[in-house]
Amino acid sequence: MDNFLPDDLLTRLKEIGDVEIVVGIPSYNNARTIGQVVRAASAGLAKYFPQRKSLVVNSDGGSKDGTREVVLGAELDPDSLLLISHPVHPIQRISTPYHGVPGKGSAFRTIFAVAGQLNAKACVVVDSDLRSIAPHWVELLAGPVLDRQFDYIAPYYLRHKYDGTITNGIIYPITRALFGKRVRQPIGGDFGFSGRLAARYLEKDVWGTDVARFGIDIWMTLTAIAEGFRVGQSYLGAKLHDVKDPGADLTSMFRQVVGSIFGLMESYEAVWQGVEGSEPVPMFGFPFDVGVEPMTVNVERMTKAFCQGVNDLREVYQSFLSQETLEGLKTCTGQAGEEFRISDELWVHLIYECAAAYHHKKLDREHLLQSLVPLYLGRTASFVIQVRESNAREVEERIEQLCQVFETEKSYLAERWGLGAGKEKIHARTA
Amino acid sequence: MQGLLEKAFIEPFHRLAEHLTHVLPALITILLILIVGGAVAYLARRVIHRLLVALRFDRLVARTGLASTIERARVFRSPSDFGARLVQGLLWLFIILFALNAADTQMTQDLVVRFIHYVPDIITAVLVLLLGSLISKFLARSVLLAAVNAQWSGARLLAGGVRVLVMMLAVVIALEQLRIGRTALLVSFAILFGGVVIAGAIAFGLGARDLAREWLQSKMKPRSPENEEVFRHL
Repeated sequence: MDNFLPDDLLTRLKEIGDVEIVVGIPSYNNARTIGQVVRAASAGLAKYFPQRKSLVVNSDGGSKDGTREVVLGAELDPDSLLLISHPVHPIQRISTPYHGVPGKGSAFRTIFAVAGQLNAKACVVVDSDLRSIAPHWVELLAGPVLDRQFDYIAPYYLRHKYDGTITNGIIYPITRALFGKRVRQPIGGDFGFSGRLAARYLEKDVWGTDVARFGIDIWMTLTAIAEGFRVGQSYLGAKLHDVKDPGADLTSMFRQVVGSIFGLMESYEAVWQGVEGSEPVPMFGFPFDVGVEPMTVNVERMTKAFCQGVNDLREVYQSFLSQETLEGLKTCTGQAGEEFRISDELWVHLIYECAAAYHHKKLDREHLLQSLVPLYLGRTASFVIQVRESNAREVEERIEQLCQVFETEKSYLAERWGLGAGKEKIHARTA
Repeated sequence: MQGLLEKAFIEPFHRLAEHLTHVLPALITILLILIVGGAVAYLARRVIHRLLVALRFDRLVARTGLASTIERARVFRSPSDFGARLVQGLLWLFIILFALNAADTQMTQDLVVRFIHYVPDIITAVLVLLLGSLISKFLARSVLLAAVNAQWSGARLLAGGVRVLVMMLAVVIALEQLRIGRTALLVSFAILFGGVVIAGAIAFGLGARDLAREWLQSKMKPRSPENEEVFRHL
């Protein structure tokens, strides 16, 4: 499983020997922020796990801005070491380029392999563009794995109401409706997991797919849930970070993330078809209020993109959307300004029809996912208009309403997915 | 008088009768081949149509995007109907060739031989057209999606242009394969293609000079952070 690691890295790992905790940091041109992330991770290990041998691994995608030098040169402030505690074992640091498809997933694969090679009990991965990371994140992500035998810890952040709209509008509701676990940030980017789960990830042959790119987060979360690993989440406070991979445009990100979840729906069809309702997952950490960064959203640009999509792509949509959904979308294009709305029911049907069309290969899959982008922008605009005057609690309630619709309409998905047979199966189960 | 009558009417009549005795069996054979062959072709169409329907051929073709092209033509009821009639047409072609061969004359035999030598070219041309249709449709949809996601107002026009261009190329290659109007075709295509490119360049450079400058500037200059929408989707 570790034959893709370069020889010099394997030699270095042999020198280090077994460790208990591995903190992995994937990076690509993050020289500006990665120093702070490495220092926070090292401080977290020193403060919360001074007795445990640990390693910080930076898996770099060939940065040209000196990211690797920053990682290797990042030193803990001696004063802060006095404030925390001196680690029994010095915290080792490695910065290695990864091999394979360029992307976050390939970087993670190297981290999984390193964790496996060193027989790590717990592994933590954090984004290298974080500006709000604090040492206690390491404790919150690794602690439940080491002390409570959890296998997977997802992050729980406070985010601006307009932040993470793919998560709020698609990924969280689908994850919850399909697999019955309320993991609020399934693609948060910062996770803790057991060595056992890392080994399981490495067994999968997905490293030539979108999982090797932005699809890695949802793949990790859904694999953990669907394969019955113990899943929890930790409250980390606010998430502030630089704009994610400036080179990546919305269409690619959207295609990779949504394509990965649709692909996983096929892989774990037998699991989700037997799930009804949803339940909360154990939460760690102490929830506290924090300020979040203000955000600017151009609603007019998004509604314009939606209307253009509905008009210009009607023949594409006709090949996989139902007549009812098409008519619903057409009606939305007639609503102007603040009146613009895409209802929860229409949105849920739309997503479920797309998932089923992806499954039945009604259209080239890349094209299908790309054609969803204008509709997603429309839904985002509708959401922004609806919650413009709402506070954080009201926004959460709004997202909860959407999740309920995703759950109650699951039979619609089953019907589309397996046609008549699916419907009968679901009805039989509920009876 | 008797001699004249014989020379003017009876002798030609005898010659015709003699000629007919040579030709008639061949004609009857041709007629029989056409009737029996026609019936076989009709039956083959029915059987193949049923077979294609059972094999869900329509759904298969729908995935390639060719179904809408077939339906838009309003000649065939469905891709299965198209497939069945295509087989029937091909059978008819071979029946006619068989019938001509049965005529057993130098001219028909030459015709058959020439046609048989031409068949590979016809098959290649048809394949080129089919492939061209598939590629043009796929490329046009790719361009349409990219243009819509980039919010270009002329997205459909652009996609249509790509489709026409690729199809034109396929038609030219197919006709070249069939050796129909080779030189004239190539010259026409070169003039047309060159004309379209020059017209597009002039239109963009003169008519949309400001747009061209803005577009180039946006591509060359790094975007300042304050101009970026601070909005994260993931």
